[in-house]
Order: sequence, then structure tokens, then C-alpha cells
Amino acid sequence: MMVIRPIRASDLDALYQLAKHAGIGVTTLPANAELLLERINLSEKSFAQKVPRERANYMFALEDSEAERVVGVSAIEAYVGADDVWYNYRLSTSVNASKEIGVHTSNQTLYLTNDLTGCSEVCSLFLHADYRSGPNGRLLSKCRFLFMREFQRLFSDKVIAEMRGFSDAQGRSPFWEALGRKFFGMDFSQADYLSGLGNKSFVAELMPKYPIYLAFLDPDAQAVVGEVHENTRPALAMLRQEGFDFNGFVDIFDAGPIVECFVRNVRAVRESSLRQTLVAKHAPQVHDDSDYFLVSNCGLENFRATLVTREAVTYDTVSLSPEHARLLGVGMSDPLRVIPLRYKENI
Amino acid sequence: MLCVRPCRAEDLAGIESVVNQNRSRVSSLPLNRDKLSERIDHSVRSFEQDPDTEHRELFLFVLENTETGEIAGTAGIHRNNDKRRPFYNYRLDELIHSSPKLGIHTAVPVMYLTHELTGTTVLSSFAILEKYRDSAYFDLLARSRLLFMRQFSELFSDQIAVELQGVLSENDESAFWDSLGRHFFDMDFATADYYSGIKSRTFIAEMMPQHPIYVLLLTAEAQEVLGRADARTEATSRLLLKEGFKTSKYVDIFDGGPTLLAELDKCRTVAQVQEKQIRSHEVHTGPRYLAANQSFEGFRCTLTQLTDGMGDVLRVDAAAAECLGLSEGESMSFAPL
Repeated sequence: MMVIRPIRASDLDALYQLAKHAGIGVTTLPANAELLLERINLSEKSFAQKVPRERANYMFALEDSEAERVVGVSAIEAYVGADDVWYNYRLSTSVNASKEIGVHTSNQTLYLTNDLTGCSEVCSLFLHADYRSGPNGRLLSKCRFLFMREFQRLFSDKVIAEMRGFSDAQGRSPFWEALGRKFFGMDFSQADYLSGLGNKSFVAELMPKYPIYLAFLDPDAQAVVGEVHENTRPALAMLRQEGFDFNGFVDIFDAGPIVECFVRNVRAVRESSLRQTLVAKHAPQVHDDSDYFLVSNCGLENFRATLVTREAVTYDTVSLSPEHARLLGVGMSDPLRVIPLRYKENI
Repeated sequence: MLCVRPCRAEDLAGIESVVNQNRSRVSSLPLNRDKLSERIDHSVRSFEQDPDTEHRELFLFVLENTETGEIAGTAGIHRNNDKRRPFYNYRLDELIHSSPKLGIHTAVPVMYLTHELTGTTVLSSFAILEKYRDSAYFDLLARSRLLFMRQFSELFSDQIAVELQGVLSENDESAFWDSLGRHFFDMDFATADYYSGIKSRTFIAEMMPQHPIYVLLLTAEAQEVLGRADARTEATSRLLLKEGFKTSKYVDIFDGGPTLLAELDKCRTVAQVQEKQIRSHEVHTGPRYLAANQSFEGFRCTLTQLTDGMGDVLRVDAAAAECLGLSEGESMSFAPL
């Protein structure tokens, strides 16, 4: 059975292995054991409410309970830029026009901003290749919205997600080649790694501060502004179904788009509802054709989420096998938060 | 005899034909009869001895063959003092992008749009017939302005500027323009340059990108020509450098050509000027000099051989004195050619 739970210090090895496979562009998951341990420690303190609200980072682990193996992670940063400086480019339009000579031109312009400081962010999602088929990706992503719904007070009004930008098969980002490389003199992967280490001072030191006219960049760099990496398309599609949309900001390194949504408008937040636990020996089990529902308990430090089949969900209860109930840490009549894993229609 | 004098309305056709034949383009002399005529009128008004003349902005001179009446060249001094016409330049600065931790320390060149040379007198509108380009008359026409400015220095700024044409291709295309201005003006360099000669500054304010420009982001071709003068300006450039002009941080906003600066009183010609009373004489030997009278609206400057004797008296060729409109005992300014 696949269960979501807060990450623990004992997950370090598993997390490190995942980070090694995450590759370029998943900035928030650098393969650095020391840093990953820090991330885990911070997450543990966050779930325990031992850090100030705005410093919190909640990291979730997806565990295969039979194999006792962590196969995926995802996280929520409570308030981005509270600890360091949060940079994005805002994609703006500059218009120049003169009646005297009868010309009207429009140029897209990138402004370096910290405008998204203070938003919550869903981030660091990574799933082991062996587990990518089926509902696991959605489970890993969407459980965060149930958590946010339950503990809305811990988060900002608005939640963003940074989508990995376009890069080719060799990991080469045309946007980076046209802009960042000229100022940083290093590969995208190195800059991405340094940025993931959390010290953004090199950005302040080396990044151009004045606005950048897109027209000055190579056409292939211009073409990928706001475009996602091929592997990120499913994640983007899923967030769109939740109500996320491009907000006009892009990543400063690879120009990947930022999508955002007010937390209260996230579909899983709006439409999830509470049911009571019904522990039953013969509770309907998930099967290959299951219409999945995502259920979570209402705990903070002992937050758990998993999938059940539609037949287990009634208008006021969710039937769980004793095993399932144990994994979720709930007993008879305990509240559960429920949302369909997939929506019937796309927004 | 070839002599420099203030232009007059009837010089229009002559000036037009000089501009037409000139080897490099001169933004301040547009090939537009009405605009040229306006320039001439403007200059005529500037030379009128009325201290209230509000727009005493442009002084335009011609090089005239006094025997044939042919206009052989033109040269101007622009006071550049009109706040309604801000003088646009890019100032080329460097920002240091330094990260001790990463061991990266780069000087990043940035161009800032500036008007700070507004009010700096500019030598402009220089064009000369091809047959005189390699002659001493090239010097005469160019440097006569310095003699004029020295005499009426209260009208001009201490620092003076010259904009040299940036590098253009054979088809008058500018790599600098194609990398920068074209994105905003949506027109070729020649059109923009023509507009800059005939329009108010409003269209520049409206069309120029408002933010500083990172030179690193321009095309390699544009970076290559930034701050460089076109080969066609070589003679002018050589003359100016000899006078003591120096390249500055300023470049032209359209073609990236350099702006040269000098202190007027440190210019070689100005520093070497002497004034003496003349005595007409037949003079056929000795080195040649630039010689000018000290009149404002009747300013004349020519090339002549002098015999510089002891004391305050100078023997001057009668024809030259006549050309300058000077009689015995009147004072003349002169500087070695």
C-alpha cells in the first residue's frame, strides 16, 4: 500500500538516492547529503511546529508499506523568500510609439523581481521511475492540498509552483545559454545546483539587475520563455486542473513558468470534504480499474494520506480495512478528508 | 583664394551639392532642401548681432572659392544649448559583478542613456568636396571654427564635443543599430538617421529603450563596432586627435560611434593662436598659417604665408588681407597650419 507521511531523519539515504536521479532543473532537491539532512530536520521541526510559521517547510514521503521503501517526495514551502531572497523575472511588455514618425513597437521585457516573496510554494516533487505509472504522482502532488486545506492558517493566501523550464536532451537550456551564462560563466546545472543549496547571494552578486529586453536574446532562447520541460507537462496539466495558471513570472535561470492559485481556490481545497472512518474487515480494496479517492487524516505531525477506491466512499463515511486504518493512524469515527484523485471533467 | 565665412541664404544650392558628394553621411546635414534651408536661416540669425537672439544655436560656415564663388565645404558649430532638444548619448560604464565565494569577478559593460552633454558645444555639419579632402583646406575648414570659438568663447562651453560616424557597412547598415535600435524603432538605420536630422527629439524620447543596455547581450557584430569610428572619418579623426580631442565614455545612440571631447583652450590650434597688427606686403615664402579676422558676423578665415617679424607687426599677403577684409594696422589672429 502506498502511504504519504511526513519525512523522517531515517529517510535520508532514500532521499539522497531520489535527489541523485532528480536531475537538472529540480532546483529544490540538490543531491547534497548535508543539505538534504537539513531539509529533513527543518521539515520535522515544521511538522512539530517548532519553527516560526514563515520558516516552515513541510516535506512528504511516499512509502511503499509492503517494501518499506520511500519512493517519492514532495514538499510545501510555507513562505518563499522568508529566509533568503526569492527571485523571479516578471515578463512585461514595453511599448514604444511615436505619432511623429508613425511607428508603434512592442518589446517583451524581463524584470528581476522579488514579487512572489511571501507566497506558499508546492515544490520538490520527485517520484522514483519504477513507481511513475498509475496514481502515485497525483497522490504525491495532491496530498499537499489536503494538508493545506486542513492547516490553512499555516500558509499564505496564494500558492505557487515553479515549473521546470525547457532544456534539450543534453540538459542545455537555450535561455541560460543566451543570458545566465554570459553573466555567471558557468553551466546551467552548476548554477541550478548552487541555487538549490539555498545561498542566493551569488545571484545578487552576478545576476543582471536591469531589465532585459527579450529581443536581445537568441530566437531559440526567446522561444522557450514560459515553456516547460517536456517531463514537466503532466505536472503542469495536473496543476491546471486544480486551478493553477501562469502568472507572468518565469524562472531567472531557465525561464520556466511560475503558476499560481489562491489557496482557497485550489480545487482540492474547495471540494475536499470530511467523512467519518468506518473500519471494516471487508472494506472495498483498490483494484486495477479503481476510481481512486485521495483520503487523509486530519493530523499535523502524524499526517497520513493514501488512496481508496470509490466503492469505499459514501456520503458520510469512508470504509477502511483495519490495515489501512492503521496506516492512516485513524480509528472508528475519526474524521477523514476526501477528494477524488481525478476530476470527471477538466477545468 | 579659398576662404571660410558664415553661410548665407544664397549658399543653399552650393551646400546641397557638397552634402550630396560627401563621402560619409552627416546626420546634422540632412539631404532635404527645406531642412538645409532652415539650418542656414538659423545660422544667419545666430550671426546677427542681436544679443537677444533667443535661438543663437547654430553657426554654419562655408568654404568658398572667392574667385569662382564655388562652395567647397561646410562646417558648423552647434551650441547644443536648447533644453527643448536634449542631446542623447549612451554613456558606457562598467559594473563589477563579483562573487568572492565563486571566484567570479567580471566587469560588465552597461550603456546608460544620458542627456548630460546637452549644453556642450558640438562641432558638426562637416562636409567637403572630394577634391579638397586631402588638401590643407580640409584643415582650414575644420580648424577655422576653433579660431572663431576662441574669439567668442563666452558663447561656447569650455568642453567641446565631436560625434564621429560609427562603423557602417558599404550599404550604410549599422551592426550596432541592427542589434539595438532596430528592435524599438522598427526601421533601418538610414531612415532613423534621416529622422534624427529633421525631426524634433520627441520621437527619440518615445522610441528609445528606457532601460540601461547590457553590452554583453548585443550581437557580437554590434559589440565589435561599439565606440569605433567608421574608416571614412579617418581624416577628421586624425585631425581631431592632433588637436587634443580624446575618446570619451559617450557613444552615439544609433550607430555606437564615439564622441570625442576636448577643452577648447587646450586645443592645439587655440593654444598656438597669436594676434598681431598687419602690414600688407607681398609674401611668397615661409610656412603657411590659418589666418582669421576678429569679426563676428563678418568672420573670415583663410590660409596664407606670413612673415612674422619682431614686435607686434605682421607682414601679410595683400590678397589674403583683402580676403579677410583687413586693412593696415588691424589685428589678425593666426595659428600655424
